[in-house]
Amino acid sequence: MRMNDEPVAAMPAATTPATPQAAAAAAVPFVPSKVSIDRTVRLPSMTFCLARHVPSGRVFCGGADFGLHSFDPAAEKPETRPLSEVRHSSYVTGVVNAAGTLISGGYDRSLIWWNAETGEQLRKVEGAHDRWIRSLAVSPDGLRLATVADDMRTKIWDTQSGACLLTLDGYDLQTPHGFPSMLYAVCFSADGRRLATGNKTGKVLIRDVATGEIQQTIETPVMYTWDPKARRHSIGGIRSLAFSGDGSLLAVGGMGQVGNIDHLEGKSRIEVFRLPTGERVHEIEDSKYKGLVEKLQFSGDQKWLLAAGGDNGGFLSAWSLETGKLLAQEKLGNHLHAFEMLSDRTLVTVGHDQASHVTLSAG
Amino acid sequence: MSGKRLIPVQCGLSDVAGVSRRGFLGGTAVGVGGALAADMRAVNGLRAEEIAGELRRGEKHVILLWLAGGASQLETWDPKPGVKTGGPFAAIPTNVAGIQVSELLPKLAQRMHLTAVIRSLNTKIADHGRGADLVERGRLDDPGLRYPDLGAVVAKELGRLESTVPDYVSLYTSTEGRRKGTSGFLGARYAPLFLAENMAPPNTGLHERLTAAEHQDRAALRDLLSKRFTAEHRGSTVGSLNSAYQRVQGMMASAGLFNIEQEPAEVRARYGPTQFGEQCLIARRLVEAGVPFVKVARAWWDSHGQNFETHLELCADLDHCMSVLLDDLQERGLLEKTLVITLGEFGRTPGINASLGRDHFASAWSCSLSGLGIRGGVVHGATDAEGHTVVDGEASAGDLFATILQAVGIDHTHEYMVGSRPTPLADFGSKPIRSVLV
Amino acid sequence: MPPDTPTTSLLRGAATGSDRLVLALVRCCLLLVLLLGPLPCLAAQTTETDSIAVLIDNAIDQQNVAAGITTAPQADPDTLLRRTTLDLAGRIPTSRERDWYLLLPAETRQQQLVDRLMQLPDFDFHLRNSLDELLLPERPNDGEFREYLLTAVRERRPWSRMFREMLLAAPADGPDKGAAQFVRSRVRELDDLTNDTAVLFFGVNISCAKCHDHPLVADWKQDHYYGMQAFFHRTFTSKKNLILEKPFGGVKFRTTAGVDRDAALMFLNGAVVTDATPSYTDEEKKSAEEQIRRLEREDDAQPVPVSFSPRQALIDTAIADQQQQYLARNIVNRTWARLVGTGFVDPPDQMHSGNPASHPELLQSLGADLVAHDYDLRRLIRSIVLSRAYARSSSWTSETAQPASQTFAVAVARPLTPRQLSASLLIATRSAGNWPAVDEVAAKPDEWQKRRTDLENQANGWMREFEQPSRDFQIAVDEALFFSNNDRVQNDLLRDGGDRLVNSLKAAETPQQAARLLWTVVCSREPAEAETQVVVDWFARVPQRQDSDVQALLWAVLAGAEFRFNH
Repeated sequence: MRMNDEPVAAMPAATTPATPQAAAAAAVPFVPSKVSIDRTVRLPSMTFCLARHVPSGRVFCGGADFGLHSFDPAAEKPETRPLSEVRHSSYVTGVVNAAGTLISGGYDRSLIWWNAETGEQLRKVEGAHDRWIRSLAVSPDGLRLATVADDMRTKIWDTQSGACLLTLDGYDLQTPHGFPSMLYAVCFSADGRRLATGNKTGKVLIRDVATGEIQQTIETPVMYTWDPKARRHSIGGIRSLAFSGDGSLLAVGGMGQVGNIDHLEGKSRIEVFRLPTGERVHEIEDSKYKGLVEKLQFSGDQKWLLAAGGDNGGFLSAWSLETGKLLAQEKLGNHLHAFEMLSDRTLVTVGHDQASHVTLSAG
Repeated sequence: MSGKRLIPVQCGLSDVAGVSRRGFLGGTAVGVGGALAADMRAVNGLRAEEIAGELRRGEKHVILLWLAGGASQLETWDPKPGVKTGGPFAAIPTNVAGIQVSELLPKLAQRMHLTAVIRSLNTKIADHGRGADLVERGRLDDPGLRYPDLGAVVAKELGRLESTVPDYVSLYTSTEGRRKGTSGFLGARYAPLFLAENMAPPNTGLHERLTAAEHQDRAALRDLLSKRFTAEHRGSTVGSLNSAYQRVQGMMASAGLFNIEQEPAEVRARYGPTQFGEQCLIARRLVEAGVPFVKVARAWWDSHGQNFETHLELCADLDHCMSVLLDDLQERGLLEKTLVITLGEFGRTPGINASLGRDHFASAWSCSLSGLGIRGGVVHGATDAEGHTVVDGEASAGDLFATILQAVGIDHTHEYMVGSRPTPLADFGSKPIRSVLV
Repeated sequence: MPPDTPTTSLLRGAATGSDRLVLALVRCCLLLVLLLGPLPCLAAQTTETDSIAVLIDNAIDQQNVAAGITTAPQADPDTLLRRTTLDLAGRIPTSRERDWYLLLPAETRQQQLVDRLMQLPDFDFHLRNSLDELLLPERPNDGEFREYLLTAVRERRPWSRMFREMLLAAPADGPDKGAAQFVRSRVRELDDLTNDTAVLFFGVNISCAKCHDHPLVADWKQDHYYGMQAFFHRTFTSKKNLILEKPFGGVKFRTTAGVDRDAALMFLNGAVVTDATPSYTDEEKKSAEEQIRRLEREDDAQPVPVSFSPRQALIDTAIADQQQQYLARNIVNRTWARLVGTGFVDPPDQMHSGNPASHPELLQSLGADLVAHDYDLRRLIRSIVLSRAYARSSSWTSETAQPASQTFAVAVARPLTPRQLSASLLIATRSAGNWPAVDEVAAKPDEWQKRRTDLENQANGWMREFEQPSRDFQIAVDEALFFSNNDRVQNDLLRDGGDRLVNSLKAAETPQQAARLLWTVVCSREPAEAETQVVVDWFARVPQRQDSDVQALLWAVLAGAEFRFNH
């Protein structure tokens, strides 16, 4: 089977470049009611992030073997191949496609620029952060890279020169209970002018990309999952963020209150806010699939929202933004960490140990 | 006679009968009233002297930092960076050449010279309840025979029978996996003073309707009225009742040991804001006052999901609090008298599950021993490259139990007679790990 | 003769002169008991079970005389009243019971007391509690089990029947449902089920024989341990929490010599039960195993037919064991230990040749008498509390060393159980008039039944504060702290109010009256002169007596050593 790769544009979203076809797609409203897994491919290690490289058609992903690997999601039997012999020195937790160049970052606190075709390491910034880098996001024009890390700083980089343009504070290093905090999630708005970040205790900061100025603060305290009595720790936090295409909505993903935080057994949780009022328009808790929401993306017409994540098992769910109700949902291998849209109805997901090609349909 | 503790000191019932009765009264009713109007401050003063006395005696102590739920050896004492099972964290050098620990323990890494690490525990049982039973007691109960845990054995061997401070204190404030500890066949005398809900031990505060003087007079009256019966009924059980009442004042006085408000602000700040830090400080105060065994349970490490996030949080807590505790003990000259242990019911699987968790694992895991009786800067045993098995120096729960007893100077082969059954302190066949002992 | 010499025996040892006569008499009695069952009446006033009490005393006295051991005198009537009431009614006597008792003629006083107490609901409650403490010590508030025991005790079921019901653990409705709790609470640990059964019903701890033949006891081999275990190996619980058995399956074990062996169904006396399990085809086995898995998972699964029950076989074998009588001797020994402080066999789970009984023939005779009288525990208990050995003083003031406990030459001060202590505290803190007189109880038994049930329930709310006494029991400082500082003690036990002793003490006109009231209610005796004087002095030390002075006085006696023990 050849994958459904017709040139219908990917949905505008933080990590997917907006294309002129988006408006055309919106003319024929598509509302998914079914999620189908077309095929899966085994990945060489636990995989946390991926980036679509449009020129080559390949998808690049990074994970627990410290390196990047690529595969062709359109292939009948995709084969993975390592990008390079060179690797990070810890888990790779973010990879983006910045105008054709790959940039990866990880727990080794470093950022690496790669030639996606040759695997050549173009640049390496050691000590890009003082602690573990949790996530990377690239602006829609590919010119700006945003990174967040457990030093609780957000940094904005020039993807062309590798220069750090802004270093932004705004989060406490420790939780209110005296433990190290974590800064997990970052995303750009579709116009590239705003940046949202989210931390362990459920605090979202929306900033002006050019100046770093904080425009808005939103709190989602349930995401923290702090257990004050039974186990005295937390495992939650904001793990995913997404702006809608017109920038009027922000979705925040994580996990709801957990009874037993030994396991990811809280209900997967999404909160959707209207901007700039900060009014919460949806509070979605999935009673069927538990665990963290690791990735969020709005549909091009802003009628629905796609969410992926999981506990041990993975899930992919589409939620109506009109009603807050579930449109379509499927259990999907092991815990999903990320996905990339290939078209408005197809996507590739990566999870614990496998990638899947998935089709959304309205039938 | 105007001594404040006149009644219990001067009089038995035999004195009361007949002519000596007036002696009991101290001559006049006023005299008696004055005598009985003893002041709790006097008792506290007395206790303070005795506490100082305890220090001078140079007794030995154990602080067990119980990592309840099972901490990961790979994220603490036995890092395996770069292998499939290793997780994301690096290994860092310590202040002892050749020894590395997880980067999550940077402060303890600088105190490695005080600590011996055992990387080769194989205790086999990977469920919480029985795993904890085994590790705490050095063996599993036999049918019909309940063994005492480490705290009870140390309390019996290092505590004084008439001690007015508690001799086995167990703090376990989280609810998950909460265990009181057990004195097994040693009986209630060696059961822990267990603090679960509050940081003040139960029933140690003066009742609001009693003054200190009334409380003390009442106790003196009880002692007096019990004397005849006690004299006529020999035997340790009858004796234990009076011993228990004699410990009441001391226990009440020592309740202040649990109040860290009494510490200078800078000391409290040093231990930090977490509850574990506060409890480590309480442990130091107790040890300083002569308590032989303090267990501080830090729950809950059971990271089936998000192992790395859990250890980022909890190792930071452990690293900081234990480092401050070691420093504080050392500065007070107590570390040479105090063994500090980190231990849980087991470690965690080398394999990482889809929730980025590690599961229960008892086949190849680690613990640490610092201070009294321990050769610091030593690693005993080794696991294979990915941490699945012990490849050198395998140690059982019994071996660890024997090692701990030896470290504090208790002969692990000493036997208790339980009924007709000779029962050694550490399980039959247990061998202390000599390489970690001074 | 040292009492703890292993060869100590009633029918051996050096006896001279008149001792020989006693010895001969005892021997005759024993033979009569063994051959004919209960002895004929010895005297006009003596009931049948009195003769067993005589047997007990003769056996013990004879051995003490032979060993030159002086026994303590009989306890004074007040002490004996308190002791007997605690042992038969599970509480201290009320002062109105004491009034009644002191008017009884001395020669029949104990018997009348015993007969009265054994008729009261108190007796059933307390025997139930004692059996509960023995059989389910880890679960002191298992309602179903306690209800079963109470029903069985009230209906005067033979011990052998209770043993059968508890081990069979058959599905039942009503109070009998709780019988299964003995097995149910242990079924997940086969070793516990095996050893606890051996320890609690047969007085034998064979756990050391699990890994090797018992190192100290020649009687117990691995065959015995695994033989016992084989009786329980097929037992499992269904999803509905019923105790069931699998239709087949046995225990395999590896001997210390490394040989793998199938365990026979072997009882402690060496008797091997023939395994009458029919043979099953592999297909039948597979199907049955599937059915068992369903039973463990599903509520509505059908039971698997079982044609041979090893647990039933164990019950039958134990009851049929006429020679060793483990079942009877164990409960005799444990009942004796409970009432007298130390067993003939001590520790009570070490009934084997390496640890002979202090009075083996007496133990044998009492066991035989129990069997001959349909395992009637009441008869056994009555005999013991009517003996002189039971009634000895616990006070030992002599310069000479106190005789060893197994001579039974002096009574032992036993710590009250949590339930005894709780019920006694509730009685001791109420005024004397709060409780009915003996004739009122007799006239209105239903009312007393209700009062006593209330007392039992209230005691349940206190018992958790106290530790169940164990061997070599040490009272923990926790208890002293509880008594010294807990709100419940101050606000409830020492509370003032119309029905409270505090109120009566306050109303006493003189310190002497207060002292008498205090000691008669709390300690079931008159105060000694010195004690009265302490009260006089206590009140005199302040110009104006306060409520708190009265409360402190009551507290000091309640928290005192005398009250804490059954002496």
